[in-house]
Amino acid sequence: MLGYSMPLYIYVIEDLLVSLVLLSSFVMLSSRWISFYIHAYGFQSFLIFVLTLILGIEAQSVDLYLVAFLTLFVRTIFVPYILLKMIKKFNIKEEVKLTLKIPFSIISGVVLTVFAYFLIYRLISPFSSKIVVNASSIALSLIFVGFFMIISRFTTITHILGLLVIENGIFLLSVVVVPTLPLIVELVVLFDILVTVTAMLILSMFMKIQTGSFSTTMLNRLVG
Amino acid sequence: MNMKLFIVIFLIIPLFVSLSSFILKNKRFVEYASLFSSSLDLAGAFIILYFSITLKTVSIFNGAIVIDKFSSYIILLVGIVYFLSSMYGISYMRLAIEDEQITDGEFFRYYFFLNLFALSMLVAPMINNMAVYLIDIELTTITSAFLVIAEVTEKSIEAAWKYIVIVSAGISLALLGTVLFYLSGNIPGSGNIATSMDWTNLSLNAVYLNKDIVRFAFVLIVIGLGTKVGFAPMHTWLPDAHSEAPSPISSMLSASLLNTAMYGIMRYFNITGKNLGFNFPQTIMIIIGLFSLFIGVMGIINQKTTKRLFAYSSIEHMSIISLGFGLGGIFGTFGALLQMLGHSLIKPVMFFGSGNFLHKYKTKDIKKIKGAFYVMPKTAFLFSAGVLALIGAPPSIIFIGEFLIILQSLKNGYYWMTVLLISLLIAAFVSLLSKTGSIVFGKADENFNEERGDFSPFSYVPMLLPLAASLILGFYIPSGLHNLLIGIVHIINFKIK
Repeated sequence: MLGYSMPLYIYVIEDLLVSLVLLSSFVMLSSRWISFYIHAYGFQSFLIFVLTLILGIEAQSVDLYLVAFLTLFVRTIFVPYILLKMIKKFNIKEEVKLTLKIPFSIISGVVLTVFAYFLIYRLISPFSSKIVVNASSIALSLIFVGFFMIISRFTTITHILGLLVIENGIFLLSVVVVPTLPLIVELVVLFDILVTVTAMLILSMFMKIQTGSFSTTMLNRLVG
Repeated sequence: MNMKLFIVIFLIIPLFVSLSSFILKNKRFVEYASLFSSSLDLAGAFIILYFSITLKTVSIFNGAIVIDKFSSYIILLVGIVYFLSSMYGISYMRLAIEDEQITDGEFFRYYFFLNLFALSMLVAPMINNMAVYLIDIELTTITSAFLVIAEVTEKSIEAAWKYIVIVSAGISLALLGTVLFYLSGNIPGSGNIATSMDWTNLSLNAVYLNKDIVRFAFVLIVIGLGTKVGFAPMHTWLPDAHSEAPSPISSMLSASLLNTAMYGIMRYFNITGKNLGFNFPQTIMIIIGLFSLFIGVMGIINQKTTKRLFAYSSIEHMSIISLGFGLGGIFGTFGALLQMLGHSLIKPVMFFGSGNFLHKYKTKDIKKIKGAFYVMPKTAFLFSAGVLALIGAPPSIIFIGEFLIILQSLKNGYYWMTVLLISLLIAAFVSLLSKTGSIVFGKADENFNEERGDFSPFSYVPMLLPLAASLILGFYIPSGLHNLLIGIVHIINFKIK
């Protein structure tokens, strides 16, 4: 949306959408149950789909329509579906093992968000409006929160979800900041998500067969 | 000859072999088909090199594929290691089947992913669009993660899992950097400078990009792709994946995959240098190179198993290469490029030797492998010669590379850095020699009852060929190679004329 001038109500809607995206990432940070995570991820992807669609309509760009609907199919429907199916198949009801307590995770999330805001403000504030700064700093904070989720939670599914949140952040950032981004980039990123998720699911099935669990805490043999 | 057709055939051969290995399920056919495809691709890599020298830059498919001297050099390095690994793989996988380490299904899966892995590495340096390049690097991660679990054990799954999680996260950072590079050329009010994400386009318009964003984006690229190269502190996946993968795969990971990732960093290095002056990217490469060198050498000193030892040695070598690029100048860059070639030639020798020891002694523990000289003389001889070449004893090509880099650092007046570099190199030298010395010359265990003698020629000929090449290149660098490397130096640091 950088470089486009749009009516005021679009700005309001988009501000609302990105703040809901931020909320959903905090929902992920504060939840203990894996299925909760997956639903939050699906919700977040849906919000990003709506945002991309609105931008596409406003900018009259066919590329953005296409990217939006691919996002809907891949991120909102397909990936959460196979993750939930896998949980059902392997009967995972276990809680996520947290190394850090939930209040501390939330505080870290806040700190990361503020840090992302300052970083983005320094980088792009000279040539962009406030709404773009807000939206892209939330996108960057999604990337940081994704990294935080990977290092603070010890199950294979949450690792996958952490990577997916990072990808969501990159996607949101590119849609908000460079809407003219060539279509092929978005397509290969979606392809990348599909391949990575499939590969990681296969690997975690191997892991389940070998070690009997999806927890990565027993992965401690290789050190030094 | 039609270049488009040639490139398509060049890339379709490994794909075809990998699919046929999955469909036909004939062991002998699969082995020799891989060897055949890799030797064709090696020949093809030489032809591409020849084209890029005579025609300067090959640009086909509307500029989607651009091959200049640097790309064709990396393609050649990948081709060499692919050839050596598929030759050695014949011996390694046969022995693994005999020892019942792997099942038939795993055997065919290995060959399926081996050729796909090679294909994805051969494609990477050709791609013009940097986002597609990054996705291709991600594909190399996934195909090689399945090769790391060629033998499914708890340890190998752990290694593959760490590998995929850490490197995917790194690649997504690099992707963020790429998006920011695109943004830096598409700022409203200053016109659309970067019309695509092609490195040719970015490099052409590098002067006009937004400086603040480029500075931030380059750091992201170095961290992101540096994860794949194995720079510390993002290196933690590397020793695990290298030590748990089968030996041919370890050598492909170490000797060619790291180079393809380094290639991407150097493309951005060039763009950033044109934009901000070369001081900024060079400083970053020097800092990360020195830190990784330190971590790599400390890792070498601490290791107790063969393959982890050489994995840390890969970290050491990649950081020396990064230092060479960071020091810049003709000597530094030339030395780094020679070091790339030397690393690609010698590292397979070390991993193949460790693979032979693994099959004979059934262990990777350095303390339990003793008296190799009496048990398998040919392997042990080549292995010890390889170690000497690896640590940079003269007449190996690595010696010349390291010497040039040290010369450049003296020339730049970084005396403290030179002292640090030399002392770390000596530390690596001593600890690698002492560790491998006990493997080769120690007294064999009395309880050791395995049959003496080497394995089939496939197990030591792939060690002999690159070793001989590196010795010859140590004495004499042909003028063709010299001109090529000078050409690449000009591509990377464009101001040196």
